[in-house]
Amino acid sequence: MANVKGSSVCRTAVDEGKPADWVPGGEKQTVVDPMEMFHKLPREKLFITGSEAARESMRRANIDIAIAYPITPQSESMQQAGYLYDEGYIKEYYRGEEEIGTFSAISGASRAGVRALTATSGPGLMRGMEAISSWPGARTPIIMLNMCRVINTPLAIQPDNIEMSFLLNTGILLLHAENQQDFYDYPLAAIMASEQVDVTLPAVVSVDGFFCTHARGPVEVTPEEFKLPPRDGWRSAVPAMDNENPPARISRDAPIQKSNFISYHMHASWQQEVFAAVERSAKYFDKYLGGLIEVVNPDAEDFIIASGCAVSQAREAVRQEGEQGRTVGLVKVKSIRPFPTEQIFEAVKGAKRILVPEFNQAGWLHKELCAVLYGRCKAVIKDGPRVFGGMTMPTEMIMEWLAEFRKEVK
Amino acid sequence: MSLETLRPSPAFASVLPIEYVDLVEHGPYTNRSGDGSKQTVKVTDMGKFKEVIEEHPMCAGCAMTLFIRLAYIGMPNPEHTIVVGTAGCGRLAISQASVPFIYGNYGDTNAVASGLKRGLEIRFPNQKKDVVVMAGDGGLIDIGFQGLMHSWFRKEKFTTIMLDNEVYGNTGGQESGMTNHGKVLKMAPRGKFGDKIDALGLAKVAGVDYIARLAPTNPARVARTVRRAIMVAREVGHSYIQAYTSCNIEYSIPTPDVMKDAFEIEKERYGFEEIVSPEAKAYLDEVEKKPKTKKTD
Amino acid sequence: MLIQDNLLLTRSNPSGQGGTQFLYRVKDYGLAALTGPQEEISMIHWEVEVIKFTTPETAGFEVCHSTELADKTLKFYTDKSLNEFLQKAFQYFEELDLLEKMLPQES
Repeated sequence: MANVKGSSVCRTAVDEGKPADWVPGGEKQTVVDPMEMFHKLPREKLFITGSEAARESMRRANIDIAIAYPITPQSESMQQAGYLYDEGYIKEYYRGEEEIGTFSAISGASRAGVRALTATSGPGLMRGMEAISSWPGARTPIIMLNMCRVINTPLAIQPDNIEMSFLLNTGILLLHAENQQDFYDYPLAAIMASEQVDVTLPAVVSVDGFFCTHARGPVEVTPEEFKLPPRDGWRSAVPAMDNENPPARISRDAPIQKSNFISYHMHASWQQEVFAAVERSAKYFDKYLGGLIEVVNPDAEDFIIASGCAVSQAREAVRQEGEQGRTVGLVKVKSIRPFPTEQIFEAVKGAKRILVPEFNQAGWLHKELCAVLYGRCKAVIKDGPRVFGGMTMPTEMIMEWLAEFRKEVK
Repeated sequence: MSLETLRPSPAFASVLPIEYVDLVEHGPYTNRSGDGSKQTVKVTDMGKFKEVIEEHPMCAGCAMTLFIRLAYIGMPNPEHTIVVGTAGCGRLAISQASVPFIYGNYGDTNAVASGLKRGLEIRFPNQKKDVVVMAGDGGLIDIGFQGLMHSWFRKEKFTTIMLDNEVYGNTGGQESGMTNHGKVLKMAPRGKFGDKIDALGLAKVAGVDYIARLAPTNPARVARTVRRAIMVAREVGHSYIQAYTSCNIEYSIPTPDVMKDAFEIEKERYGFEEIVSPEAKAYLDEVEKKPKTKKTD
Repeated sequence: MLIQDNLLLTRSNPSGQGGTQFLYRVKDYGLAALTGPQEEISMIHWEVEVIKFTTPETAGFEVCHSTELADKTLKFYTDKSLNEFLQKAFQYFEELDLLEKMLPQES
């Protein structure tokens, strides 16, 4: 409430030490159409860390409330959200008690009809999972930044995106940023898609921790004078819990725990609708991100399909293969949920070999691809190389796997 | 307010559902003045007006149900109130009310309410929205303990009402943190180890601005306490009400004796107690000194 | 931001340890400037190698510690200081190229 003016507001920015004539940064910004911001505004090239890219994204995202809880490697970004609050780009901000509290509170904020942001990493995501997995069913548009790190024992803070596999079947929209640039662009796109009436779902933008968050990379940003349109709490698939409806029973979250056929049906149809909404979001991501996938060398026989940091390593492998006279294709999967099944199928239908390098032990992307391409695509889909727990994926490793693959599948 | 947002055309008045008409014309929604201080729906008229909550699937003779009905009557501005709850008996009744109810995850009430209240203040800077958590003893003092404590320490501006039946009623009678020492219940086969948690003491330490303990023996007092708590939460800080709402099933209280038990327990260890911070007291004095303020109770 | 003159390639750190590498090329010589992740953001820096390209067509190179510019990996903590070094290095590589051409070719 600190950055909001109104007779009923409990606490104001002046109460927190700002001068009486202070103008919040957000009030100096101009709202632009999202498509204008994503595709037309001039961009300035910066060389910044992923956390700083997240900050610049948040600055332009017209966020009402951000709730933070520290965990490495996320802390840096949510500290930056704190500075944005202090500058007046975010209206409300506080540190929650821990992740269940933080992710419950953020769902409360979203239910109030405002734009809400939080962020986490690995173990924090797992701790808050009960709350997170209830967001889609509650139809709460929320933006969560997820800086992936190890979750398994032995505990480590190194990059590893196994945690994303736990989000696959929740009904959450899930994007995977390759680099600092994506970590600037994707949250903005995710916010706009998640708040569409026919979507009304939470969105997570994952990025591989440290490699992106704690390292610098080139990022082209739009002018900071422009911000996204605010969330419109009235435009939603379900009413906000604001009691602005006529008196009636509107317990949106009413318990349906009775053991009878009607309650089974209610739950089933509600969940079907959630997952249908995930699919409906694809058209917005397509528009905002210029496609759910990116394809390099579309005519190749050998393809690498990857997401996140593995794309960057694969890009370099593709370049070096090219230097040596071999054409290798690359499909970058930007959106994991909705999963771009048809686009991927179209891109690789001429492929003979598909290699899926990943930064996790489970190989969740490989499994996804096998599930959707099974029976439709003639290519052999090979999982690997897989690194995890902070292990690195040198370009040569991908090239060695490609060489081996060519020997295995003639 | 809600009735302004969506006001049915007079031409349709005759075909509006009777429930809707009754709530607006004979219920608590429009029967109050703007700041909530004037209450024209009286506890003593219960049964003669349309209540925010009527039908419910609670057990016969349940004291918790009585308390919940009274709490809704006490709300200073139900048309701008949102109730947050969690798993437990209470939500079976609360979810039937004509006030929006957020049924969250296990023990997440006070965190959800924190985000909700702050979000509502951003969205409606010129309209107070009251947020009330109504949850059981297990939901608040056990699984929701962390969220409860931190919302208190953060002085979040909403009200927490503990429906203290001293047992996990909904899951079939397990011992909770609010169960008395030595009581034999499920999961405490040799009697509860440790004392009933001193939630009032914790609230005091946390600096909660308005703390009240009561049993539903005096209906007018319940409504008045709820209203005072909500008013304090609007302007001053957090407020906490701990209500003895016995479980006649798990504690084997014969239905006709439920109120007798309430009187006995009140006398023995659950007497009415109000702990009000100087800021809250100054505010309540200010609100309640208005001529018509005390008219109902 | 580093200067873009003589920039041959910007790529993710090929060692896979995260971060970004800039390859600069002037004739046969060049510089590989790498900035990788640091647990403490304030410790982020540049590690710079003088390199010698192995072929005219590709970005293949070997680290070269035998020039007068540097006999070891250099560290820079700001873009400004690295940019100043880059300018000097580019000039040096031009001169080195001229000098090497003046030397009798080994048979």
